[in-house]
Amino acid sequence: MHNTKYHKAGSAADAASLLSGADDGTVLAGGQTLIPTMKARLAAPSDLVDVSCASDMRGISVSGNTVTIGAAMTHAEVAGSSEVRAICPAICDLASNIGDPAVRNRGTLGGSVANNDPAADYPAAMLALGATIKTNTRDIAADDFFTGMFDTALDEGEIITSVSFTAPSKGAYAKFPNPASRYAMCGVFVASTDAGVRVAVTGAGSDGVFRAGDMEAALGSDFSASALDGATVDAGDMLSDLHGDGVYRANLVKVMAKRAVTAAG
Amino acid sequence: MADKMHIKLTVNGTEEEFLAEPRELLIYTLRERLNITGPHIGCETSHCGACTVTIDGKSVKSCTMFAVQASGKDITTIEGLGTPDALHPLQEAFKEHHGLQCGYCTPGMITRAAKLLEENPNPTEEDVRFGIAGNLCRCTGYQNIVKSILAAAATMNADASSSSDAIGQTKVEAAE
Amino acid sequence: MSVAKSLPHDAAPLHVTGAARYVDDIPLPEGALHLAFGCSEVAHGRIASVDLTAVRSAKDVITVLTAEDLRHENDVSPSPSPEPLLAEGSVHFVGQPIFIVVATSHLAARKAAKLGRVEIAPLPAILTIDDALAAESRFEDGPRVYEKGDAVGALAGAKRVIQGEIEIGGQEHFYLEGQAAAALPGEDGSMLVYSSSQHPSEIQHKVAHALGVPMHSVRVEVRRMGGGFGGKESQGNALAVSCAVVAAMTGRPCKMRYDRDDDMIITGKRHDFRIRYKVAFQDDGRIDAVDFLQLCRCGWSMDLSLPVADRAMLHADNAYAIPNLRVESHRLKTNTQSNTAFRGFGGPQGMVGIERVLDHVAHEVGLDPVEVRCVNYYAAPGEAMDSTHYGMPVEDFILSDLTDRLLENSDYLKRKEAVEAWNAENAILKKGIAFSPVKFGISFTLTHLNQAGALVHVYQDGSIHLNHGGTEMGQGLFQKVAQVAASRFGVDVDRVKITATDTDKVPNTSATAASSGSDLNGMAVQMACDHIRARLAEFVAGDDAEQVTFEGGFVHFEGKSEPFDALIKRAYMARISLSSTGFYATPKVEWDRIAGHGRPFFYFAYGAAVTEVVIDTLTGENRILRTDILHDCGASLNPALDIGQIEGGYVQGAGWLTTEELIWDEAGQLKTHAPSTYKIPACSDQPEVFNVALWDGTNREKTVYRSKAVGEPPLMLGISALLALSDAVSACGTAYPDLNAPATAERVFAAVERVRS
Repeated sequence: MHNTKYHKAGSAADAASLLSGADDGTVLAGGQTLIPTMKARLAAPSDLVDVSCASDMRGISVSGNTVTIGAAMTHAEVAGSSEVRAICPAICDLASNIGDPAVRNRGTLGGSVANNDPAADYPAAMLALGATIKTNTRDIAADDFFTGMFDTALDEGEIITSVSFTAPSKGAYAKFPNPASRYAMCGVFVASTDAGVRVAVTGAGSDGVFRAGDMEAALGSDFSASALDGATVDAGDMLSDLHGDGVYRANLVKVMAKRAVTAAG
Repeated sequence: MADKMHIKLTVNGTEEEFLAEPRELLIYTLRERLNITGPHIGCETSHCGACTVTIDGKSVKSCTMFAVQASGKDITTIEGLGTPDALHPLQEAFKEHHGLQCGYCTPGMITRAAKLLEENPNPTEEDVRFGIAGNLCRCTGYQNIVKSILAAAATMNADASSSSDAIGQTKVEAAE
Repeated sequence: MSVAKSLPHDAAPLHVTGAARYVDDIPLPEGALHLAFGCSEVAHGRIASVDLTAVRSAKDVITVLTAEDLRHENDVSPSPSPEPLLAEGSVHFVGQPIFIVVATSHLAARKAAKLGRVEIAPLPAILTIDDALAAESRFEDGPRVYEKGDAVGALAGAKRVIQGEIEIGGQEHFYLEGQAAAALPGEDGSMLVYSSSQHPSEIQHKVAHALGVPMHSVRVEVRRMGGGFGGKESQGNALAVSCAVVAAMTGRPCKMRYDRDDDMIITGKRHDFRIRYKVAFQDDGRIDAVDFLQLCRCGWSMDLSLPVADRAMLHADNAYAIPNLRVESHRLKTNTQSNTAFRGFGGPQGMVGIERVLDHVAHEVGLDPVEVRCVNYYAAPGEAMDSTHYGMPVEDFILSDLTDRLLENSDYLKRKEAVEAWNAENAILKKGIAFSPVKFGISFTLTHLNQAGALVHVYQDGSIHLNHGGTEMGQGLFQKVAQVAASRFGVDVDRVKITATDTDKVPNTSATAASSGSDLNGMAVQMACDHIRARLAEFVAGDDAEQVTFEGGFVHFEGKSEPFDALIKRAYMARISLSSTGFYATPKVEWDRIAGHGRPFFYFAYGAAVTEVVIDTLTGENRILRTDILHDCGASLNPALDIGQIEGGYVQGAGWLTTEELIWDEAGQLKTHAPSTYKIPACSDQPEVFNVALWDGTNREKTVYRSKAVGEPPLMLGISALLALSDAVSACGTAYPDLNAPATAERVFAAVERVRS
């Protein structure tokens, strides 16, 4: 691992200024992705800006149907939030199945969203919930945020501070974890709101998280698992790797979508 | 070259202060700088759990955390849980119920189990199985590990209830 | 008596407090150096140039060594066939060490190792079984054949014949403690080596050759390993030799440990096999003949592949008296890691082959697979005795009774009906249940290895110091052997101190392998104790020594009892020797591996399992619902430790056959080289119900307290998990599931689709 400088930020603004003063700085939250990436020498930031204690990136608030979660909140904190559970249990369930207990104590929502790992769970939730990704400079709609595998709309030095979304009337996440890494080989988040049904898929697509338009249309008129019977997923658009080929993943997308719909009730 | 940083940790009740590069991983701090070799290096990728310690009351894999991130925090390793002469109930249970074979995963496993029982003092077998899912053991097949944790929970609950009974008793006596 | 008691592991108090030391925990003197290998990134090629300038000039690097810098033997092979420590002229697999970096810290050495610029002119790489067959790339001149009867003739004339093929993947050991060694240079050319090794004498031997000194100048100590499973029988040689060579060169202590990725990329694994079979059978499932073709991928060097492949042949019958059995074995040489010992040592692969045959035949005749197995079993003692295909009479076959008991205890028949009823009503989730037996041969097939030594001291205060050639890797060997010693002297086991395995104390030891640890070392310790006991008895009773007994901490003679301590003190004052060696050589074994004939095993260990699984036919996801095991440990030396071995062995075996998948890319690079990609069982994957019981019996052979070996046999109980998955898949259609191993979710799903179409 290359050496680096370390700074602790007290706020998002603090973090932004530290980043702007660095040659090639990066945000460090829980480090559950960044540290392994640095160990593998796939990243060699000149500076690490630790936002785990940035006060304005912490906390969860629920107001009416609107849920706001600070980017520095750990998966364990989200999983354990009774406030969120009361209004959107799907997001708590999703968080409680990331990695393992120790990983959940460190990994953060912001880290997961900002990294946009094609097999991460949160991007599917953000996209399906039509969440707003709030940064230190602007609000970005999830539809505009995830721009491809490991790629997002974030500008250089821009930091996610929180995400907010409207709790769906029905929502659930179904995941087929890679047995070894517990990342999603396929994860489908289904959310039904007044505005319609949104279905987002992670882990399976060849270019990261995506929305399944056909499934959304089918569920829009009939929110039931059987509405997806005729759905087809193009294996050619799926990731094919040592964990599973495109045909297998295409099948998983459909099965997980049905499971999510059933779980959403 | 990045500067060394001043780091202050409380490890098993002892304050430790030193200068270290920011990239120093906590597991190396513990094992090589502080000679605390109970936490082991198994995979260095946060999957096996052999390096599990408790930081400010939470289970953490010390191979995937920089020491500097832990600065100012309170760390407990297996060495802080009990000694061969005064075993923690979990340590006693792992010994008596054969919850170990080669023993390499044991320190991380027990450290994690101690937190699990704090989070959930009355776990079901399933709670235990999922609660230690991030700690791998290649020898035992986990049967005796689960048995050990459940036995420790029973012992700790019995101890807790007998001491609370004793308090209750005292109160009654005082009331009389 | 302390034998047969379920006492805790001797080091348990140390393990639970983090005080148990592994090699990497041993504090080294100031100035210790750390080593790392620079490895080949090409599967096969000629080394055109090696530029280590950047490595040498890297921070904290002391020196760098290539093959040219080795003053003596450049060899770490455990077999007669050479295996260089550092590549000379050519490389033969991705991960082959080419140079050693010596630095002041582990991380500095590892970091610098990445800076080497090695140019390799690629040669065609032989990676797969098919590649090797096409290129005739093999160890030994041609295939080995072991045969009984005339399988080919019987198949030609048979009414019912089926054939098939199964791919059986390899397995990464994934001992939690990676390979590690340290070496401390001493005076006059001597070297002290700490190694995480199952085979200290082999380390001593290889280090001595590498240093150009006699073995007496090298001392190897092994207190414990963090798991071995066969992976530390030969694979530790490279680290220990490197440390010793650099320590001798620099005069400084050296340590080396593999990072997990390196460990998985460099070291050998369980051999993967392809097994083809042709079987002739009757309508009742009775098998007349089987012709097996075993294709075994050995990797780039011979290592232990020949005896591994032999053992696969020796277990091609498992529990079945097949009148005509032919086994043809090809040991294929490939440009991949050199596959090595792994719990079962080829036996499991051979056994999967025959269990697959039984499963396939049962499917074909439409009978309960248990019935088909029982009808083919070897004869029980007292019936007309059968011999194996290698000419060894099966004298102790207890599986018929054991099977009956297990089926009853596990409620097999009722549960099988319940599974069928469930499957009739549920379209998506299908259940499967399967039984499989194990008959495993105990002894090293290399006959001379069946020997062991021990050293026992009784000190003046009555405390007992015990040492033997076996190594502790978690299996509880030290505890069992201490219980033997305590029992011989009739004292409490707390009085016995077991010390680290040390080539200075017991010389010329065999690897702790082949499940033989307690059989061999327990017996050697018993001999050593009995020598001292005989002297004590004679001291007490003269010619009536035979009437002296040692029990309950006292020595009894003619109605009088004297505390053991007091007697020891008196014996010391009377100048009686209180120290002895012990030596044991296993009787009866005799084996010709070329002819495939003789008695390779002292006895067989038996066991059986019933596993019930459920699969999701939409995804192939699966889990084990319940496992019942009945296993034969003879008269167990420590039932709790034995049950621990059985549970751990089963889970490891089931993991091998269901989730643990090794994948290489087309360039020969292992892609599953970390726990994020290679799936070993986690706690949350375990059977919901797991019942393990020991068969109540004793070994008919005179082993230590009539116990039986337990290390390897239970691994093969995991075959029942693969068969249960096959059973669940077959509930989806009429075709035979034809599952390969590991039966991952993706493979189960594909099999479901296949039997449906």
